[in-house]
Amino acid sequence: MTRADLVVIGFTLALLPFLYGTFWNRQGPADAALIIDESGREFSIPLDTDQQLHIDGPRGVSILEVRDGQIRFLDSPCRGKQCIHAGWLKESGEFAACLPNRVSIAVNGSEPLYDSINF
Amino acid sequence: MLTSSKEIDLRYPGLPGLLLIALLAGLGLSCSEPPQQQHKTQFMALGTLVTVSLWGVDDDDAAEAVMAVEDELNRVQKTWHAWQPGTLTEINAALAAGETIDADPATLALLDKARDLAHRSGQLFDPAIGKLIALWGFQSDDRPDAPPPAKADIERLLANLPDMNDLVITGQTLSSTNRDLQLDLGGFAKGFAVDQAIERLRDLDIDNAIVNAGGDLRAIGAHGGRPWRIGIRDPQSSGVIATVDTKGDESVFTSGNYERFFTWDGVRYHHIIDPRTGYPATGTVSATVIHRDASTADAAATALLIAGKDKWRRVARKMGVKQVMLIDSDMHVYMTPEMEKRVYFRTGTPPRVTVSEL
Repeated sequence: MTRADLVVIGFTLALLPFLYGTFWNRQGPADAALIIDESGREFSIPLDTDQQLHIDGPRGVSILEVRDGQIRFLDSPCRGKQCIHAGWLKESGEFAACLPNRVSIAVNGSEPLYDSINF
Repeated sequence: MLTSSKEIDLRYPGLPGLLLIALLAGLGLSCSEPPQQQHKTQFMALGTLVTVSLWGVDDDDAAEAVMAVEDELNRVQKTWHAWQPGTLTEINAALAAGETIDADPATLALLDKARDLAHRSGQLFDPAIGKLIALWGFQSDDRPDAPPPAKADIERLLANLPDMNDLVITGQTLSSTNRDLQLDLGGFAKGFAVDQAIERLRDLDIDNAIVNAGGDLRAIGAHGGRPWRIGIRDPQSSGVIATVDTKGDESVFTSGNYERFFTWDGVRYHHIIDPRTGYPATGTVSATVIHRDASTADAAATALLIAGKDKWRRVARKMGVKQVMLIDSDMHVYMTPEMEKRVYFRTGTPPRVTVSEL
């Protein structure tokens, strides 16, 4: 092994963290939820911070809860409460909607397990 | 500085050189990929959440495609909505008055197809029972908190229950031999709308796409080098029970008793009404169909959920669908060998499965 070899190996090793950072970190665990409200406005919220969100709709306020990397409808001013029955969303591609109050949530991962969900 | 007596031989780079070349080549390959191959857009249409996934189109074409799909779905909804004023409510008003009305060829073609599917389903898919659906209160975006209909009212409708054979299509006109006939294309209109949306995408030379309307979808092409992967939701949780990779051009439709329902006095009533009993279908939790066109898949999923585990094979055979999966209330899975080849269960313990030929 010559000094030139060492320089090349050193350069290669120095490049690795950069390459890793550039091409692997994109698939990190930063899962997020896409929320659409009645006006069609879309906003993305991270699931790594526990919080409650209040979304205005034609029927009133839908309350969403984020906890432990999951999100759910905690309350919504509809009669059927099917959005609440949908429970926690955590796997990429899952979604729930309160159609009367026109609020929907879709969970997006950086590497989705499914392209589309059938139900 | 390189002061070694031995120069790096560029013709024979050796192991370290190869490593570097490999890394740089990898870098080059990664950079040469065009940015954002996939577009996923969601909006509200057909009274539900619609997701359009596109692969391999640029931003401008994707925006144009999504707009075309949205326009098409809104057009179908305006025409075929069961209770919001439109073409269908006009037809229903005329049929209830015993009138004969003119209809355009597109309308007649759609009703003819619905009539054919209803006939082949043994009238289990029965779009003529709009009155019964309305009696149950399911012709509403948010059903009022009200009890189920009285038994006497259901029996009165059942005594003279219309089916699609009562609809008379002569030349360009429509009439009915049963004044109770009211069309409700739930269980068909969504499939029809998805088919139309895919047509619009094809007009725009888009070959790789999924149109998903409230959980029912048609997928064409693929996601680049791999097929589109569909997760089928577990009827008893928010998770996924199985996956299917679509091939070429396929629709995946599921009718489930968990989609729309209300609870009264501790009893759950869902929206898929069995025309034989006048009550929500019992025994089967969900019916999934994979078929080329979405309108057939939609009608078949509805009919098969009503048919249940004793009659589903006969109904599937008559409707010409081969890839079918039923899940009953004990989470027992019934399916065809053609379906078994397509689904991969993702549950910790695989469910009990019975595979039978049609």
